[in-house]
Amino acid sequence: MTTVTAAPARKKPENILWRRFRKSTPGKVGAIIVLVFVALALLAPLLQPYDPSTDIDYRYRLAPPSVSAFWDAGAKEKYTDAVSSKVLYFKHPFGTDNLGRDIATRVLHGARVSLQIGIFATVLALVSGSLLGILAGFYGGWIDTALGYVSDVMLAFPSILLAIGIVSISNRPGLTTAMIAVSVVQIPIYLRLARSVVLSVREREFVQAASALGAGQGRTIFKHVLPNSLTPLIVQGALSIATATIEAAALGFIGLGAQPPTPEWGTMLADSREYYTQAPWTMIFPGLAILMTVLGFNLFGDGLRDVLDPRSTQ
Amino acid sequence: MAAYIFRRLLRTLLVMVGISVVVFAFVRSIPGDPAVAMLGERATPEASARLREQLGLNQPWFINFKDPAHLFNAQYPKYVGALLQGDLGNGIKSQIPVASELKNRFPATVELALGAIIFALLIGLPAGIIAALRRNTVWDNLATTVSLVGVSMPVFWLGLLLSWFFAVVLGWLPPSSRLGIGYTIVPITGLDVLDGLLRGQFAAAWDALRHLILPSIALGTIPMAITARITRNSLLEVLGQDYVRTARAKGLSPRSVTLKHALRNALLPVVTVVGLQMGALLGGAVLTETIFSWPGLGSWLYDAISLRDYPVIQGGVIFAALVVSLVNLLVDLSYAFLDPRIQYA
Repeated sequence: MTTVTAAPARKKPENILWRRFRKSTPGKVGAIIVLVFVALALLAPLLQPYDPSTDIDYRYRLAPPSVSAFWDAGAKEKYTDAVSSKVLYFKHPFGTDNLGRDIATRVLHGARVSLQIGIFATVLALVSGSLLGILAGFYGGWIDTALGYVSDVMLAFPSILLAIGIVSISNRPGLTTAMIAVSVVQIPIYLRLARSVVLSVREREFVQAASALGAGQGRTIFKHVLPNSLTPLIVQGALSIATATIEAAALGFIGLGAQPPTPEWGTMLADSREYYTQAPWTMIFPGLAILMTVLGFNLFGDGLRDVLDPRSTQ
Repeated sequence: MAAYIFRRLLRTLLVMVGISVVVFAFVRSIPGDPAVAMLGERATPEASARLREQLGLNQPWFINFKDPAHLFNAQYPKYVGALLQGDLGNGIKSQIPVASELKNRFPATVELALGAIIFALLIGLPAGIIAALRRNTVWDNLATTVSLVGVSMPVFWLGLLLSWFFAVVLGWLPPSSRLGIGYTIVPITGLDVLDGLLRGQFAAAWDALRHLILPSIALGTIPMAITARITRNSLLEVLGQDYVRTARAKGLSPRSVTLKHALRNALLPVVTVVGLQMGALLGGAVLTETIFSWPGLGSWLYDAISLRDYPVIQGGVIFAALVVSLVNLLVDLSYAFLDPRIQYA
């Protein structure tokens, strides 16, 4: 008898979060874009008939998207197979670049590169920035003053210049350096955010109770303060993958990020600068991929905020 | 208030000291020798050593520990000493004083930043207002979508896209640079469009304006999106306030309620955000200026980094950071004028 009365009222907390998430339109759209993007990145090695960097084909240099053969006579001629005289409408759906490489394949593989950069840069910035911010917020005093000063100085630099500077110093332009540069630029943002959250959490009763019960500082920070400070950091994390994607692509675009022939979207845009007047597809598709990815993560971040912190929703 | 301004200025000054130290150490850590960059790869070691001596690059960076009698006989103290007299040194490559080059370059950046902000306000403000007044209609959805796409836009791609479409396909506008060949405008303010009008060179002013449009749109898209979003949210919040209901209850016309009661109060956060955006843009738009060959701070600094031009990087970055900090301070202070309830203690 007792089991019957106890059972129905209980609801798992996931249900509440899930219900809120389903009500958030930006969250849903963002989640779909992000999922598609992650799926494409994971499937890229399986999906493609070409290699993104080595399949060079000079017969198809700067060929337009093959779908345009449906209405464009020139493209139709180019994509007609000489032997079977069949038109290959889907040979290069996004066209080819100056070396005859398939742009669709390169954009697809770019998703892998971009996802790597976005996630690593964000995790690195989130962990190091938050730890510093927690230190500053929890201990205050000279640590707080010193870290506050350093982050003031870093935030006074235009972020792209700071990233360029970091890559220049390392003298090793490439994916890893770009990742670190993009990450370092974001550290002060997490530092400030974590600090302000910790300052408000620190004064709450349960933290004071933990200290009063004799919990050590390490235990108080990691068992009580940190778990209750995570929400804004997670939301910021999703938004920061968007920023990291754009900044890594920007570094690639000015030649300081991933190096050719890596299929990175910013690097592809940089390559296209010499050809895009005659072959706009070399520029349009990689850029569109950046835009969609950034849009997806921005929307997803907004959605997460709706779910995790409904009070702050505007 | 005065005490607050003083404290903020002091803080800005401290940040500037930090910036100068960081930049100073940064540029000297970039691999590559400016003497070699200047003389070329085939220069003899003796020649580049002589040049390094001349440029003072063989002195210690910050403090001369080897010679305790002249502790400050080092590069940084000398740089700061000259800086305080307004001397930023000469560009290593060009030999032009950094300060005078800065004077030539900064107006171009200001003009572009103004163009971008004007674009942002022209589109962003009405979009935000319409979205708030016609909440949950097609217009609201349209404005919201535009602003979401806008904040996610990679500026460098938008720049290429615009110059491809408007300059190559349609041929309406020039793809790059600031002024067409054959036009010269003697500077008064340094803003070409304005100077052209002031000097009565209307054809030149028109040409300058045509050059300004595409980079302004590229650079202004993100501020536009942010402006639209903030305007919408802020106006919605104000429209729900008691005094707006009171105004409506008194029988004022909807137009008067919206314009006189709601909008004026709703614009406060908008001013803040636009001000902060303006500050960021004045720091130089590296990507936009590079794509459109715009002769401002951003493209100058970008070139200087690849050339290892120490004095230009130092002077440019310190100047950019100073401008950003001062504009942010002005934005903070403007609250007190716009909203008398705010007091700085």
